[in-house]
Parts: sequence; structure tokens; C-alpha cells
Amino acid sequence: MSAENFLSINWSIMTPEFIILGVAALLIVFDLFMPKTLGRTILGWIGIAAIFAALMSVASMAGGPAQSILSNTFRIDGFSIAFNMLLLLGAALVMFIAVSYEAKDGLEKYQGEFYYLFLIAVSGGMLMTSSGDLVTLYIGLELLSVTSYIMAGMRKDHVQSNESAMKYVINGGISTAIILFGMSYAYGLTGTTNLLDIAQKLSTLSDANQAYLLGLAFLMLLVGLSFKLAAAPFHMWAPDVYQGAPTPVTAFLGVVSKTAGFVIVIRILLTVFGAAVTNGPGSAPIIINMQNYLAVIAGATMMIGNVVALRQTDIKRMFAYSSIAHAGYLLVALTTLSANMFYSIWFYLLAYLFMNLGAFAIIQVVTEKAGSTKITEFAGLYRRSPVLAVSMGILLISLAGFPGTAGFIGKLNIFIGAFYGTSHYLLAAIMIATTVVSYFYYFGVMTQMFFRPVADKSKLDIPFGIVIVLLVAVAGSILFGVAPNIAFNFMQNNLDIIGQFFK
Amino acid sequence: MENAWLIPLFPLVSFVILLLIGKQLKERSAYVGILATFVSLVFSIVVLFQRFFEPTYSAKFNWLTIGDLHITAGFEVNQLNALMLFIVSLVSFLVHTYSKGYMHGDERFSVFYVYLGLFTFAMLGLVISPNLLQTYIFWELVGLGSFLLIGFYFYKEEAKAAAKKAFIMTRIGDVGLFIGMILLFWQTKSFEYSEIFKAVNAGQVSGTMITLTAILIFVGAVGKSGQFPLHSWLPDAMEGPTPVSALIHAATMVAAGVYLVAALFPLFLASKTALLTIAIIGAFTAIFAASIGLVQTDIKRVLAYSTVSQLGYMMFALGSAGYVAGVFHLMTHAFFKALLFLAAGSVIHAVGGNQDIEKMGGLWKKLKLTGPLFLIGTLAISGVPLLSGFFSKDEILAAAWEGGHPILFLLALIAAFFTAFYMFRLFFLVFTGEFRGKDEKHVHESPGSMTFPMIVLGVLAIVGGYVNTPWFGSYLGDWLVQGNAKLGSGHAEGPVWIQLAATLFSLGGSFFAWLIYGKRSVSRDWLSGKGGILHTILLNKYYIDEFYQMTIVAISKGISYLFRFIDVFLVEGLVKLVTSIIQGLGKLGAKLQSGQVQTYGAVAFLGLAVLVVIFALTGGYLR
Repeated sequence: MSAENFLSINWSIMTPEFIILGVAALLIVFDLFMPKTLGRTILGWIGIAAIFAALMSVASMAGGPAQSILSNTFRIDGFSIAFNMLLLLGAALVMFIAVSYEAKDGLEKYQGEFYYLFLIAVSGGMLMTSSGDLVTLYIGLELLSVTSYIMAGMRKDHVQSNESAMKYVINGGISTAIILFGMSYAYGLTGTTNLLDIAQKLSTLSDANQAYLLGLAFLMLLVGLSFKLAAAPFHMWAPDVYQGAPTPVTAFLGVVSKTAGFVIVIRILLTVFGAAVTNGPGSAPIIINMQNYLAVIAGATMMIGNVVALRQTDIKRMFAYSSIAHAGYLLVALTTLSANMFYSIWFYLLAYLFMNLGAFAIIQVVTEKAGSTKITEFAGLYRRSPVLAVSMGILLISLAGFPGTAGFIGKLNIFIGAFYGTSHYLLAAIMIATTVVSYFYYFGVMTQMFFRPVADKSKLDIPFGIVIVLLVAVAGSILFGVAPNIAFNFMQNNLDIIGQFFK
Repeated sequence: MENAWLIPLFPLVSFVILLLIGKQLKERSAYVGILATFVSLVFSIVVLFQRFFEPTYSAKFNWLTIGDLHITAGFEVNQLNALMLFIVSLVSFLVHTYSKGYMHGDERFSVFYVYLGLFTFAMLGLVISPNLLQTYIFWELVGLGSFLLIGFYFYKEEAKAAAKKAFIMTRIGDVGLFIGMILLFWQTKSFEYSEIFKAVNAGQVSGTMITLTAILIFVGAVGKSGQFPLHSWLPDAMEGPTPVSALIHAATMVAAGVYLVAALFPLFLASKTALLTIAIIGAFTAIFAASIGLVQTDIKRVLAYSTVSQLGYMMFALGSAGYVAGVFHLMTHAFFKALLFLAAGSVIHAVGGNQDIEKMGGLWKKLKLTGPLFLIGTLAISGVPLLSGFFSKDEILAAAWEGGHPILFLLALIAAFFTAFYMFRLFFLVFTGEFRGKDEKHVHESPGSMTFPMIVLGVLAIVGGYVNTPWFGSYLGDWLVQGNAKLGSGHAEGPVWIQLAATLFSLGGSFFAWLIYGKRSVSRDWLSGKGGILHTILLNKYYIDEFYQMTIVAISKGISYLFRFIDVFLVEGLVKLVTSIIQGLGKLGAKLQSGQVQTYGAVAFLGLAVLVVIFALTGGYLR
């Protein structure tokens, strides 16, 4: 490639990625040359600044046309902008939680490392969002995964943390193998890795036997990718890893990594299998035929997540199951394939980001002080810190999908979407029933906080970073619950997801 | 009326203020709450008067967009809403005032007012909602308020359990409501009441769908209004502070179910099956709860079962197409039941927290104000002529007779008898005879902040019924159905004997209660002064006493125990069964989570394998 060619590429659309990666590289250098005696928290704040700069840069692209560079491997469209904003917003909040995290159990030696690994992980997620090619998708996925494995095990003197990293890497390996196997079918049948090219070729597929093979590929990709979503049947790692990982990492895995997971699922499944025909040109796309499988996964995920959460006595494990359950609700939106699907998923992830990150911020404050992650550590929190208890209360009712909160609107979007076109009565019924079940464990925490006597009377200090997270999370949970049209109008006026997604 | 939306906001402001600085204000918090609800009350009265002369006012704006559907939010002041605004803000204001005395000295005094503010906001918001979704949102919010207030004494194990139970049990009903709402939305493309009625009247919705959605929505009302079989949370909810029982679990929130059915009445009218279901459930609940009330010994639980039973009455009225009767009874019940609860609170306050009626007695002499006020409430609820309850109960019975349910009508009559019986039993055990508790000297009348609300309610419990009587005109009824002929006539024309029968049954119940519980202490002159017939019967008291002990009391106790049995073993058992299945599944799932990383991988592979095998067996794309 000549220099002229190189410069003619419209690199500017990669500005957000460059900002994140550039600052990550800077942090590596800083960390190397900074004296050992200096605290590394400042690096975290630089990271936050970088994330906000990237967020601004992404937001400034909103409203523009779909663009792609590097022979269509990297693309900016309504979808990538919308979900990149989610990723970056989530990342910023996680970073606020991280700078308020007191490094110990071996993490103190690697605190700087933690911040730049985190930025690299975020850039992996962003790459996935904006890629138009199986190869770049896969690279983004691995960038995110490998850094996450490391971060989960960064408390090197902490047995559980090590165990969790080990489990995570093994399960991640299995899932990657399955994903690659599935991708290889798509490549094998079309001879290209570009998503749009694959879609175009498969839309004229005339051999029904090849469509059968693609059906198998669909199942493999679905199961393989369910690892990232922490959805059934690949959900079992989540509780162990969530419990062992440092709380900021748990928050990252629960929110940012899951958002990235949904991004890749939508990109691959919708582009490839939304185009591939079942039985000669003009027949129904494969994804329509596979709706039942999606429904089974969604239903199983909701049931497993909510039912097993009932038995948990550890708050982080409980939130792991709760996050499995939320993945199930999101899969319901995917299953319905309604016109409203993109918005439903995007809005739900937004609401989920607020309520979950807020909750993790509080979990971090409470569990770090207590030195244990038992749910009973929340007993009498209202007496110790009314602010934390009331915030947690609001976030919990949002998680439970209580009216007046963003969580409710998110569920309502999905629920109504389930009746769009073909009605998915059974799935909707499971969603309602499991939501009722979820009330039990969310309100279990509420009862602990408000209705139990205090075990430990000491006051809790709330670090500055946590204050910010809580402000954003609580305000977001209420604002989007009371005035949900703010988000809708933003989407409607600035981003054309459906129009740009398939082009 | 354009500013009616402000009414719910005052309590919300009070809620926010007290949430922020309640701790500093301590007991002065009460003034903030009282002031806020007072302003709401004044506004409500103005709105109510305006509504007498002006047509319905409604306003809305675009709130939520899902796909190409636009969901609106706003408010509406129609007759029912204006009346509810008045009832809710009045009772709330009185309870705010009363609590100042009742909760005095509680270390979480300001928190109590915070919760009260939240609840009042939600309840006022509920009654001006112009669409189902908004109603549902406030519906859940009042549930949250109720949950917090029931669990207010959280250091008591029972209070904690009761709060949880109330929340979960009403949630079960809410699921029905939610599904019904969504189905209705799907049929009519709107959550708005007016749109829904338009679609239903135009025949756009099939008959079965109307029945289905109406019954599902009624399930929500069953949960909220403590109807059989979702009633058992309500008596347990008495663990909350007594002012809360008066406000939430007697006058307002539990009546929300009745309000919901009334607000959606045109929908229910379109389905005979749904109406019949409501009538049956209502009538059965009325007699079922009343009979349980006969043997309770906790003053608040007696009143709680009585509430359940009276709510059943209202449902029964609505189910018999007696729109006016149901709403009318809702109003009078709010007055006299709130009065009874506040008076009961005053009694409990006087005897130092004891609620067992076996340990009370002879309080008439000590509580010079509470006693007569409690008596007014008792007379009103029993349907003794000339008090408010008499007129509304009469209206219900007439509507039932017109509606053509002779068996249910009979059940309602018997329930009226039971009501009079257990209420007077309560009255006599508490206020007459000898004091059976300890520390009699300590018994004292409550402070002015507590007696004032009771006096207001006492007056209303007497005169509240005269807005709608067969003798002086049915103003309330005519106004309620004005401009909406579908709701039925403003007054049900029943034969005269119904009024006589109702009177006879309620007086009969009162009389037997007196024979059994009151006769030892009440002087003969007092009774003979009331009427000669009673006096003659009294002469034979010995036989009658024995006779009724053996028959009426034994039979009613038998029924009562039978229903208790159903309550404890069948209904609760069913609930237990469902929860234990879920718990069991949870246990199983947790067991699978062995911590072995091989298992995790294996499960994933197994999952994939199962999906692939199904895919292969079903022929893949061919389905």
C-alpha cells in the first residue's frame, strides 16, 4: 500500500478508537516511568478523560451517513454509533468505580496495568460494534476477552480471584472454538469474510442442503456467543467469575462486556442469517426459521437466572444470576425480530447500564468495608447510610421492573414488542412469571437494607467516584422511567439504525 | 379544573422535603405533611364543586413511543375522579393530622410522614389517570407505599412478614391486571379509557376477548381490594401503624380495586360473564370475610375482615350493574371505616398498645369522645337507619335485586346480619362491662390532634349518606351517571320490603350481639327506652340466650372455622405449593452449580448438542 493510498483512507471515522488506544499506550509509558511510590489512581482519571473524549467524538458522528473504510471491514452506521455510546458511557462509569476501588490482595502492584488493560478491552468492544467483517469482529472479540481474563485475575494473592480468571479463560476458550467453527461454515459457503458480501451471496442461495449447514452454523454461533451474554447454556461461568473478580471488573463484565456481546450477536445473526434464504431465492430467511431456537434460549435463560438467584446468599453471585436473567429478557427482544427490536434492546441496555452499575458501585462500598460479599452485609444499611440505601432501593426497583423507573419502560418495550407481528404468548408469559419471581430476591435485599437491625454500626464513606456513578445511575433510572421519550426522540432524530444496518 | 394535576404534587413535595430534611425537622415534619395534604384537600374540594357545574376536563401529552405507537400521559377530571380526589385527600389529611398524636415519640417519626407523603401522592395520581398504563404505574406505586408502611415496625417479625406478603400477593393480582391491560391495548391500540370504551362499543373487540380482559383486570382488583382468594394479606397488613390501616387498608388503597372496576365499568358492562364473576366473588367475599370476623379477638383484625367484607359488598354491587351503589358505598365506607380504625387506634393508644379485645372492656366511661364516635361508626357500618351506611347498603341491595341474583342477594343480606353482629360484639366487648386488662388508671382519652379527625369523620359517617337517599333524592347518583347513560340509572328502585329486610337483619345482628356480649352491663332502662319490643324479648332472655348460643353462634362459628380452614390450608397451601416448586427448582439449579469448570463446559456442549439434534430431527429448515 502506497503512502498516498494510505492517506486517502478516511481515518477520521476511527477517531474514537484512536483516542482510546492512544491514551492506553500513553498510560503504559507513564506507568513504566512513574516512580513506584506514586499512586496510580491518576492514571485512572486520565483514562476517564479519554473515555469522555471518545464519547464526544462518537456523539459528534451521530446523524451522518453510513461510512466504511478498509474494504468494508470497519464501518460507522447508526447501529455502531448508538451502541458505542452505550459502551463508552458504561466504561466511564466502570472507570469511576475502579478509581474508587481500594487495591489490595496483590492488585496494588498492577493498578496502572489495570487501567490500560481496561481501555484496551473497551477498544475491543468498540471494534466489534463498528466492524463489517468476520475477521475484525473476531479480533475485537478476542481483544475484549483476553484483557478481561487478565483483569479478572488481577488480585494475585486472592485465591478466588485466581480461580475465577482460570475458569473464565477455559470457558472463554471453549466458546471461541465454537464461534470460530460456526463462522467457518459461513466462510466456507461463500468464500468471503465480509458480512455484507456473505449476506448478498447467501440471499441467492439455491441449494437447500447448504441452507441446512447454515442452520447448524447458526446454532453454533448462537451457543458460542451466549458465553459473552452469559445466557443459557453458556451461563455457568458467570456466578463463579463475578464472585471472584474485583468488583469493578465484575461491573465491567456484567454491563460493558454483555453489551458488546449483544452487539456481536446482532451483527452476525441479523446480517448473515437475516439474508440467507432457506429454500431458494425469495424464500424466508433462516433467522425466521430459527426463531423458536432463540425463544428456547431466551426462555431457559430467564428461568435459570431468576430461579437460581433465589437461593443465593452472596450478593455478587445473586447479581450474576440477575444479569443472566436480564440477558434472557434482552433475548426476548431479539427473538421477536420486530421493527422495534433495535430500539428495545438499546433502551434496555441503557436502563440496565444505569441500574446495574449503580448497584455495583454500592456493592463495592458495602462489601469492601465489610470484607465479605454476603447479602447479610446489607442489613440495616438504611441506618448506616440512608443515601446508599435509598439509592440502592431505587436501583433495585428499577432492576425488578417497577413502574416509574427505566427498567419498567425497558421491559414494557420488549413486552409489547413480543406481540408485534407474530405474537409470542408463551415467551411473554415466561417473562412476566419470571419477573414476578425476581421480585423475591430483589426485595430480599430491600428487606435487609430497610427492615433489619444493623450488625456493624460504623459509618460508610462514599468516595467521590462512587458519588458520581450514583448520581448518574439514579438520575438515569428515574429520568428515563418518567420521561422515556427523551431517549426515543434522540434515536429518532439522530440515528437511522434500521436504514443503515443492512447497507 | 385545569390545575387538578397539582393536587397529587403537594404530597410529593412534602415527600421530597421530608426525605431531605426530615431528620432535622423531627416531629415538626408533621406540619409539612399536614399542610401539603390540606392544600390538596382544598384544591380537591374546589375541583369537586367545579365538576358539579362544568363538563369533564382532560389533558394529555405524548409520553412514550414504541415503534409507531404513541402512548400518552395526562389527567382527567370526571365525576368519579373528582369524588375520589375528595375522598382520598380528605382521609389523607385527617390521617396526617391524627398521626401527629398517634406517632408521637416514635424515633422514626419523620420517616413515617415521608412514606405517607409518597403514598398520598401515588393514590391521588392514581385517581386522576386517564389511561390504563398510568393507572398501572400509580397502582404499583401505592403498593410500594403500602409495603413500606406495613413494614414500618420492621423490628417486629410479623410486620416484616406481613409487608412482604402484602407486596407479593398483590403482585399476583397485578400480573393479571398487566396481562389484561396489554391484551386490551393490543385489541384497541390504546391505553386510554375513552378510546377503549369507543372500541368496545363499536364492536371492534370480540366478546370472548372482552370477557377475558375484563376478568384479568378484575384479578388485579381482587389482589388490591383483598377479595377472595387473594384476601389474606389484608388482615396481616394490620401489623402496620393504625393510622396507616385507616388510610391505606380501609379507605383508599384497598378501594382502588373497586375504583378500577368502576373506572372501566363500560368494559365490564359489555360482558355478562365478567359481571357475574364479579358479583359472585364479591358476594362470596362479603359473607366469607364477615363470618371470619365473628371470631377474631384482635380489634384491628376484626376491622380488617370487616373491610374485606365491605369491599366484597362494593364489588357485588358493581357486579350487579349497580355502578352508583358501588361508588356510593365506597364513599360512605371510606368515612365510617376510617372513623372506626382511627377510633380503634385511639382505644389502642388509650390502653397502652394492647389490641386484644378480651383484655379491654368498660372503656365507655373513660373514653368520653372515642366511645360515642366508635358507636357512630358501628351503627353506620351495621346499616342502622338514618346513618350513611344504611343508605348505601340499601342502594346495593336494591341494585342486586334489580340485577336479578336472588341467591347472591340473600348472601348479602346474611352478610349484613353478620356485620352488625361482629361490629356490636366488638363494641360491647371493648366499651361495656368491666375492664379486663391491667393498669386501668393509665387509660386516657387521646389528644386533640387525634380526636379532631375522628369528629370530622363521625359527622360524615352520619350525614354522608344523605347525598343519595330514596327519600330526599339521589343527587350523587344522578350526578355520577350524568352524560353517560350506559352506566345505568342514578338510583336503583327496589321494593320497599328490601329496605325493611335490610333494617331487620342489621338490627337483628346488633340485637343478638347485645344479648350475648352486652347484656350483663347495659342497664335495662337504657334498652327499654329504645323500644318496647326489645324489652319483651328481653324478658325471655334465658332461653333465647341458650338457644342462640347453641344455634346461631354455633353455626356461624362452624362456618367461620370452615372458611378459616379453606383459608389456611387451601389458599395458603396453593401459594406454598407454587413457591416451594420454584424454591425447589432454585435448589436444583444451585446444586448443578458445582464449581467444576468441566461441568460448565459440558453443560454448554450438551446444550449445543440438544439444539443440533432437535434441528436435525425436525429436518432443519423444513420444520
